[in-house]
Amino acid sequence: MNGGAVLGRIEKIQGEIINSVSKNIFCAEKRNSILLEGEVETYEEVIKAGKLATNRGYKGVINNIKVKGLTLPSRKHPKLIDNKLERKKVDVLIIGGGVIGSAIARELSKWEISILLIDKEDDLAVHASSRNNGMIHPGIDPNPKTKKAYYNVQGNKLYSKVAKELDVSFERCGNIVLYDAWYGKIISPVLKLRARLNGVEGMKYLSKRETKELEPYIYDDFIGSVIFPTTGIVSPYKMTIAFAENAVLNGAEVSLNTAALSIKCEDRKIIYVDTNRGRIFPKIVINAAGVHADEIAEMADDRFFTIHPRKGHILILDKKKGQFLNSIVSKPAINQSKSGTKGGGVTKTIDGNILVGPDAVEQPFKEDYSTNKENIDNIINKHFPILPLISPSDIITYFSGNRAATYEEDFIIEKSEYVKNLIHAAGIQSPGLASAPAIALDIEKMAVEVLSTMMEVKPKEKWNPYRKGIPELFKMSEKERNEYIKKRPDYGIIICRCEEISKGEIVDAINSPIPVNSLDAIKRRVRPGMGRCQGAFCTPSVAKIIEENANKNILEITKKGGESYLVVEETKKGGGAQFGIL
Amino acid sequence: MEFYDVVVLGAGPAGLAAGLSSYEEGANTLIIEREKYPGGILKQCIHDGFGLVEFKERLTGPEYAERFIKMVRNKKIPILTSTFVTSIKKEEEIFILSVVSKDGIIKVGAKAIILANGCRERTSKQIGIHGTRPSGVMTAGLAQYFVNIMGYLPCKKCIILGSGDIGLIMARRLTLEGAKVLGVYEVKNSPSGLTRNIVQCLNDFSIPLYLSKTITKISGDDRVEGVEICDVDENMKPIKGTEKFIECDGVILSVGLIPENEIAESLNVEIDNATKGPYVDQNFMTKVDGIFSCGNALHVNDLVDYVTESGRLAGKSAAKYASSKYKRALNPIEIPLNKFLYAVPQYIDINSDNNKVVMYLRSRDIVKNVKVIIKSRNEILYEKRYTHLNPPEMERIVFDFNRSSLNDYSIKILMQEG
Ligand SMILES: Cc1cc2nc3c(=O)[nH]c(=O)nc-3n(C[C@H](O)[C@H](O)[C@H](O)COP(=O)(O)OP(=O)(O)OC[C@H]3O[C@@H](n4cnc5c(N)ncnc54)[C@H](O)[C@@H]3O)c2cc1C
Ligand SMILES: Cc1cc2nc3c(=O)[nH]c(=O)nc-3n(C[C@H](O)[C@H](O)[C@H](O)COP(=O)(O)OP(=O)(O)OC[C@H]3O[C@@H](n4cnc5c(N)ncnc54)[C@H](O)[C@@H]3O)c2cc1C
Repeated sequence: MNGGAVLGRIEKIQGEIINSVSKNIFCAEKRNSILLEGEVETYEEVIKAGKLATNRGYKGVINNIKVKGLTLPSRKHPKLIDNKLERKKVDVLIIGGGVIGSAIARELSKWEISILLIDKEDDLAVHASSRNNGMIHPGIDPNPKTKKAYYNVQGNKLYSKVAKELDVSFERCGNIVLYDAWYGKIISPVLKLRARLNGVEGMKYLSKRETKELEPYIYDDFIGSVIFPTTGIVSPYKMTIAFAENAVLNGAEVSLNTAALSIKCEDRKIIYVDTNRGRIFPKIVINAAGVHADEIAEMADDRFFTIHPRKGHILILDKKKGQFLNSIVSKPAINQSKSGTKGGGVTKTIDGNILVGPDAVEQPFKEDYSTNKENIDNIINKHFPILPLISPSDIITYFSGNRAATYEEDFIIEKSEYVKNLIHAAGIQSPGLASAPAIALDIEKMAVEVLSTMMEVKPKEKWNPYRKGIPELFKMSEKERNEYIKKRPDYGIIICRCEEISKGEIVDAINSPIPVNSLDAIKRRVRPGMGRCQGAFCTPSVAKIIEENANKNILEITKKGGESYLVVEETKKGGGAQFGIL
Repeated sequence: MEFYDVVVLGAGPAGLAAGLSSYEEGANTLIIEREKYPGGILKQCIHDGFGLVEFKERLTGPEYAERFIKMVRNKKIPILTSTFVTSIKKEEEIFILSVVSKDGIIKVGAKAIILANGCRERTSKQIGIHGTRPSGVMTAGLAQYFVNIMGYLPCKKCIILGSGDIGLIMARRLTLEGAKVLGVYEVKNSPSGLTRNIVQCLNDFSIPLYLSKTITKISGDDRVEGVEICDVDENMKPIKGTEKFIECDGVILSVGLIPENEIAESLNVEIDNATKGPYVDQNFMTKVDGIFSCGNALHVNDLVDYVTESGRLAGKSAAKYASSKYKRALNPIEIPLNKFLYAVPQYIDINSDNNKVVMYLRSRDIVKNVKVIIKSRNEILYEKRYTHLNPPEMERIVFDFNRSSLNDYSIKILMQEG
């Protein structure tokens, strides 16, 4: 038995689980964590057993319970196989190109070390980091003393600076939590105390009238509100891409379509990591693999936690309705489950749309982003009343994302206790985006510490914290926009009519520091197809621009990498007329 | 800044006709088009059937457009192509347009503007399709562009959701190009497209049409791998237990068109919920003085000939308005929305010297043996018997009114049995 496990503890937990969940579950200790195995009837039972085993004096819960008849799809990996990275030696290998891995790469690029960031997808920010609300939380929700609380508050403070350095639009719009009589009485003292403990600044109570002055279009079903003015809003994928591009400009390397498949350890040390593009020999490895972080830990024989994906759905409304909201407004329901979501609400995005949601659903599939009517309808029923001027016909699209929740419900940001050259940035559920800058700084410290035992680590003399984003012509004054077009006429050819995106901006995205050429990747950078027509008009023109600028045939162009081809073959007669925007 | 009497937005069939008639009426006219070539959506509609009313001929879309483009060119009416209107502001009595092109941003002033910017297609999310989000799901118009303009097949084995005209036409087109169209699925119990298209595009090619069925789920990671189809009840709600999986690599949506009116809305032009286009009077002027609307931006037409007609009427009125502004007195036309989907125009300007009204209307349901009556106070302005009214088939009627008898009274549209 490892760690200071208490005698009889495991039996007690086992007993409780048998009593209230299923007798087919077996508990054991593994190092200083608790391991659950067996087979049950439903996924709810899996979660329930995991929760029962949580915070019982173990480091973490390894929940391997299976559900009868439920086979989880095998991990989705790129079909591409080559040896681009074969026998590559790097000082730091970061697995995962979400906002966490990308922010870490950027902070580490301050040092004279070689950095390789890999992601299995054809772009960065394909998973949680592009499937969230883009809210930079103030840090009021997490329980005091948790890592979440610490990193959230610190991360929030850092945002003004990083967003400016990386040329990403960021705005401290504040968030307003409406309350009714009951909620006001019970919750308000708790909130005050928590704000103090977590170090959240600027919290203020507003009367109904004051609230309405800030948000004149919200409904009347509340008596007052609390405002958190430090809350901000950012485009999560643009932020992620900006971190990664800045890292690349400072010498880091990013390899997309590259999946970590297995890890070879000797003497509690990682020797190499096998990918679909060759065997990589890193000095240290940073695990930032989002919902798959527990699998990466497992590969290194360092599994002490379990990610149980918690799905959230979000609706996007037409920009037309953006004028009816200035910030983020929510009204928590009284019976809201504690561990679930913060309840969601309505959010004005940095690009002027309104987001509605998210909800929170426990489900076993880590990369299932399908949506269903029930969840979307629930969100409509729950949150649409807040803004009486919005209606379902304003919905332009909806999507879902999976939060990388652990049973402990806290971030895991630490050097592995078992493997000498592994660092975890795992279990980064919400508010992971808000926390990213602070998490990255701490991981940087840890990585430099570990590396220093193996090599000399010097700061880079010419580290450049700045990165220039792609100009957003639509947001410019006419004078400035005119100057841009005069310099490059392509900025005057509008391709996406809904979002007013020019050819020049799309070409910039294709030629950006981390070159991309799928429709979705371009969309994440410069938004063509993100508007109300969802690409029905501009898709062919964007494809044509990719064809010309990325040296690809239209038959090779995909929506999102892999085999998501846009068209399948030439028509009988082949090439058509010369029409369209271009 | 350049000044014009009339600026037309869009060089589709509506905009071309509007530009022509405005010019012919003596107005100094400019047409602005976002794409590189004029013609609008017609450029990709390579099937025939256009122009039966206008030219008494069956033309293809590009042929039809070409006739108007030639007329515009012959008259040397300026068209700015690859030029995008980003915003319009009204300053005093003049409209100032911000216009973007590869030459930069310029300002254009106009006494009157005509919005002829067409419509867009409703997307899968706007009708609540669920499941995964692979490639291979697209609107019929996009599929049409891929096939007709670019020369590529977007899928090999597909189903078409919605029986709108573009969907029907694409069913035939994809079949001719060697793709397999497994069927057209329509959630309503009657097709939304023209009967002529059902016959010529589906029946002639043995493509099945399934009514009262819809897609409830799309599956596939990278590409579409299949869809789940469900029967629906009389409220168009899927019936549990009727789910059926169909393998396919494409889903083509023809689920409705929505007039594009973002610019109109930015000018506080009031939009009719029934048409999703602006309210207009018999001169196609919206409720904002000096702003006109026509074509599919006004309401979705099923024949391009009527699009042309509305453009022509709007152009003429706009030119008149630009030469001498007048005060309007708008009286609403009353319409029972339980009987009709809509009627355009929605208002009569009783101050206007134009007392001939061209009206487009659609019945709400399929009805047989009815009379459509238009009356003002007790005077019957128009009356016609129809053996058959069908929502997909728009009716055009023309009537005159006598201004003096109209004062203070609105016009009523009625539908009666018999
Ligand atoms: C619905 C929803 C709403 C949210 N709202 C907010 C919010 O408003 N504010 C906020 O702060 N947070 C929010 N969050 C949380 C936030 O999105 C996440 O905390 C954050 O994006 C996590 O970033 P990450 O880099 O850890 O994970 P990810 O973005 O998931 O990145 C992990 C990456 O690792 C890659 N990867 C995995 N396995 C491998 C492998 N074997 N080899 C190579 N690559 C691999 C994946 O492809 C992926 O790109 C929300 C989350 C959800 C789901
Ligand atoms: C995708 C699609 C496919 C169709 N297919 C068929 C078919 O197969 N058969 C059929 O009978 N009917 C079809 N229709 C219906 C057809 O649109 C109408 O019959 C007719 O073309 C409408 O004419 P319009 O001039 O109103 O609009 P459009 O033809 O759409 O013309 C509008 C023009 O305005 C331009 N424009 C828009 N905004 C701006 C701006 N801000 N600045 C400058 N220019 C602007 C557009 O680029 C476009 O050229 C289709 C419609 C759509 C949307």
